Amino acid sequence: MNQAAINLIVFAALVAIIWLVSKLILSRNILHSKEQKHKTLTEDILKQLFHVQQSNRIATISNLSGALKIRKAKILPMVVQMTKAGLIETVDDTILLTEEGKAYGLKIIRIHRLWEKYLAEKTGYKAAEWHYLAEKMEHQLNEKEILELSDTLGNPLFDPHGDPIPTQEGDIAPVEWIPLPTYPLNMPGKIAHIEDEPGVIYQQILAKRILVGSHIKVISSNKNEIIISSEGQKHIFSPIVAANISIVPLSKNEAYEERAERLSSLQENQWAEVLGISKECRGANRRRLLDLGILQGTKIKVDLASPLRDPIAYRVRNTSIALRNSLADLILIKKLNADENT
Amino acid sequence: MTSQHKKDSIAALANRLRWNIGDNFHDKLTEGIYADAADIASRAVHQQGEPRNATMDSKIDSIVTSKTWGFPIMIGILAVILWLTIEGANVPSGLLFNLLIDTMYPILKGFSSQLGIAWWIDGLLIDGVYLALAWVIAVMLPPMAIFFPLFTLLEDFGYLPRVAFNMDALFKKSGAHGKQALTMSMGFGCNAAGVIATRIIDSPRERLIAIITNNFSLCNGRWPTQILIAVIFIGVLVPDSMSGLVASASVISIALLGIGFMFLTSLGLSKTVLKGEVSTFTLELPPYRPPRVWQTIYTSLIDRTLIVLWRAIVFAAPAGAVIWLVSNIEIADISIANHLIEWLNPFGLFIGLNGVILLAYIVAIPANEIVIPTILMLTVANLKMAGLGEGSGVMFELDSAMETSNILSAGGWTLLTGVNLMLFSLLHNPCSTTIYTIYKETKSWKWTTVASILPVIMGFVVTFLVAQVWRLFL
Amino acid sequence: MKTHSEEACTDCTFHNTEGLKKLGVNTSEVDFVVALAGNPNTGKSTVFNALTGLRQHTGNWPGKTVLRAEGGYSYGSKKYKLIDLPGTYSLLSTSEDEEVARNFILFGKPDVTVIVVDAARLERNLNLVLQVLEITNNAVICLNLLDEAKRHKITVDERALARDLGVPVVGTVARTQEGIPALLNTISKVAQGEIICKPHRVKSLSKPIEESVNELTKKIEVQFPGLPNSRWVAFRLLEGDQRITNAITTNELSELIDV
Repeated sequence: MNQAAINLIVFAALVAIIWLVSKLILSRNILHSKEQKHKTLTEDILKQLFHVQQSNRIATISNLSGALKIRKAKILPMVVQMTKAGLIETVDDTILLTEEGKAYGLKIIRIHRLWEKYLAEKTGYKAAEWHYLAEKMEHQLNEKEILELSDTLGNPLFDPHGDPIPTQEGDIAPVEWIPLPTYPLNMPGKIAHIEDEPGVIYQQILAKRILVGSHIKVISSNKNEIIISSEGQKHIFSPIVAANISIVPLSKNEAYEERAERLSSLQENQWAEVLGISKECRGANRRRLLDLGILQGTKIKVDLASPLRDPIAYRVRNTSIALRNSLADLILIKKLNADENT
Repeated sequence: MTSQHKKDSIAALANRLRWNIGDNFHDKLTEGIYADAADIASRAVHQQGEPRNATMDSKIDSIVTSKTWGFPIMIGILAVILWLTIEGANVPSGLLFNLLIDTMYPILKGFSSQLGIAWWIDGLLIDGVYLALAWVIAVMLPPMAIFFPLFTLLEDFGYLPRVAFNMDALFKKSGAHGKQALTMSMGFGCNAAGVIATRIIDSPRERLIAIITNNFSLCNGRWPTQILIAVIFIGVLVPDSMSGLVASASVISIALLGIGFMFLTSLGLSKTVLKGEVSTFTLELPPYRPPRVWQTIYTSLIDRTLIVLWRAIVFAAPAGAVIWLVSNIEIADISIANHLIEWLNPFGLFIGLNGVILLAYIVAIPANEIVIPTILMLTVANLKMAGLGEGSGVMFELDSAMETSNILSAGGWTLLTGVNLMLFSLLHNPCSTTIYTIYKETKSWKWTTVASILPVIMGFVVTFLVAQVWRLFL
Repeated sequence: MKTHSEEACTDCTFHNTEGLKKLGVNTSEVDFVVALAGNPNTGKSTVFNALTGLRQHTGNWPGKTVLRAEGGYSYGSKKYKLIDLPGTYSLLSTSEDEEVARNFILFGKPDVTVIVVDAARLERNLNLVLQVLEITNNAVICLNLLDEAKRHKITVDERALARDLGVPVVGTVARTQEGIPALLNTISKVAQGEIICKPHRVKSLSKPIEESVNELTKKIEVQFPGLPNSRWVAFRLLEGDQRITNAITTNELSELIDV
């Protein structure tokens, strides 16, 4: 065979090997010690047990194995060890958390949610990636690091999905959410929580650009589909997807804005008034918008569209500011009629 | 009370209060400040009648950002600037060449032989250091003195933010910022200036991408290499009437390939090492303002052209000395240069280049401008060609492309060598001036290393692949 | 704002020499340090050049001066050092530019801070002005681009503005040097204490914010009596600014107290 062909094949093989090895190292945690793996599994079991008890279900070895996707033979010795360590106790077939186990589980949930909050506020990771990254991080932080993390985030009460974050002392804010399928028709409410598991359904919700904090009204609801109106748009959900979205009614000092729409929907030659910036616009981007004077009550209009219609320049306080559509999506406005624009 | 106690008690109160006021302190504070601002402004500002000039701005904007004209105007302007730079630089470059190399160099040589200065001092300082400096100045100064003022005029007028505005949709796809279109264009003039220009990008992540990928813009120093090689190796493949056109087309293809690599690398960086970094985009489109022509020319000469030229000179001087030394110090009767060429040759030939080219790129790191003269000098010295060149360690260039072509053919160059040299000239480490500038801008050895090594690796891989495929089919 | 006719304090300097040294500014052989702040696109660098005679490049671009530029000039018998801060929309955020500008005004304690504003876009520019006035008492507003405002048929009542802001306002067209002599004169008067500023402090804060800020400000004033910008420090602490939190322990805050 030609020398050049051999060279090319050797090169291709080298690239393939490097790619495979890096993939393997990243996915299999080959670099993790045995102790680390043991700790991770323990904590995953505790967290799962905590969730199960919260929803008043019963945990057995077989449904633990199902939920964690781990063989029973591997879970059994874990249960024995964890019982010895005083984290769990078994009554007949049911596995229960001890007080100590419950506190430990809460701590893991605290790290998970704090880390999701951190990812949302301080990094550019996409919402779909938060859960996976937090799953890894929750096994790695020590007490001091957790405190520092919480401090830098300003000791937040809720994670970006709307879940309450347990405090240092293990208190957890109570939530009164109503799943979307059972939320009453035409009652103004806001999205309180979007469940990020399973990922497939979460992706579908994200694709509709539904945001935590958005005001909604349910227009129609039956066993085939649920239709809501939110921020000038209608969204149709299947009941399975809708079950992962939770709503709370608006409180007394929150007014439902019937005319709320997103800035990205503003047409040329039309004035609008900013109602606010969505809660999902966070960190540096939120600060930048505020600094530029885009805040509640600000008058705004389309100044100029770029050739590809993204970004679009808006006129704000006599200045032309270009924003990408993805950011303009997070600014809520009320379109003004000709007579309102004075 | 100790200072630690003070801190603890104040910080503790701040934490408690923060808990009380919720997580929207920044929102509320900004709202409060703007409310005061609106109040004060309403009392101080009076608008009399409709603003007139705003319509002028929006007329210009409606043309330069329109669907139909936005991109053609932009590409047209960039093309005109590059054409003016490359064509316009020929005359002053020729004059400087005449002055510094054809006139001054013999005078200096004559002067030193009259004074009876030792041959090696004369060689090191005049053949090495002086010639490298003269070369860099003659080739680098005119294009920069044309390119920078033109670019700066557009900047002062206010057109450049519109370019960023038009281009953002394309750059966003590879995780970059619309303003990178400008730093990239600046890179066609000079990569070091392009790297400095990234200061206009206010999002750190996007700025880093723009810095690392600026080297993929084919800079002024590399255009002459590209044009020469394209004429010698590609232009001759077609009839004479077509050769100019084909040569230009191949150089433009290389520049476009560079833009392609820029997008790919930007995407690669955002998906790997820079994944998860915060990204922000807001872009103010300032009003158009008439540029002050003379001041612009003056300031852009001072703070862009001369600064970059100075940095290049600082690096070129020692490089000139090194070039002379490696060609003149002999070990076992063979110059260091020839030792190195022999040593680099197997790898060079393997990737469709040769040892001379690799050595030239190593010693000519201060400026791409001196790559071709170094290659010619090394080739002649390596082959011990009689009657050609100026002597060992003395860079030279030939007036006719034919003669250059003859030397290179004698050095074993083929069409593949030419094509791969064009590719390698696009894909190799930035010049030392740019590397130094990257370090000054990023203050990070890590990113400076990435920005320096990444293009060379890509260059090796691309020339390797081209060479193997070439040998497989041709 | 009061004008002292008597030569109250012609030799006393206000700037924090130690703090400036840490920020890399050499103040030897300089009588006064002047900082130049302003939004991007207000012609700040043009003002800088007009004051110092330097030819710094000024682009029609946001965020042009990322690195701090320095220049000097003499006026009367005094030597001034002018520091061009990065152009920013605000001082409250976390970007590098804003940190540079905010820390310079706070820890460097320039004798005068000149804030360049665009006369045609006053409201938006006041956001930054009001923030600077929370940090320092000695400020001068340079109301620039008057020619552009005129073309837009906008007039600004400089007296009303000066009264509301509590600091002197000087109208300029820096491109043509118009108003620059008056600006130089006003800077020297503020620097030498002939004009005493009484800057506006932000009023329109919501009640819970106002209460929290007041509580924290009081606490800070107890620990650091005489600190001129305790309310700004309270703002920063409530934002969770680590730099300021650390400044409490390193005594940097104590250094800012007027003697």
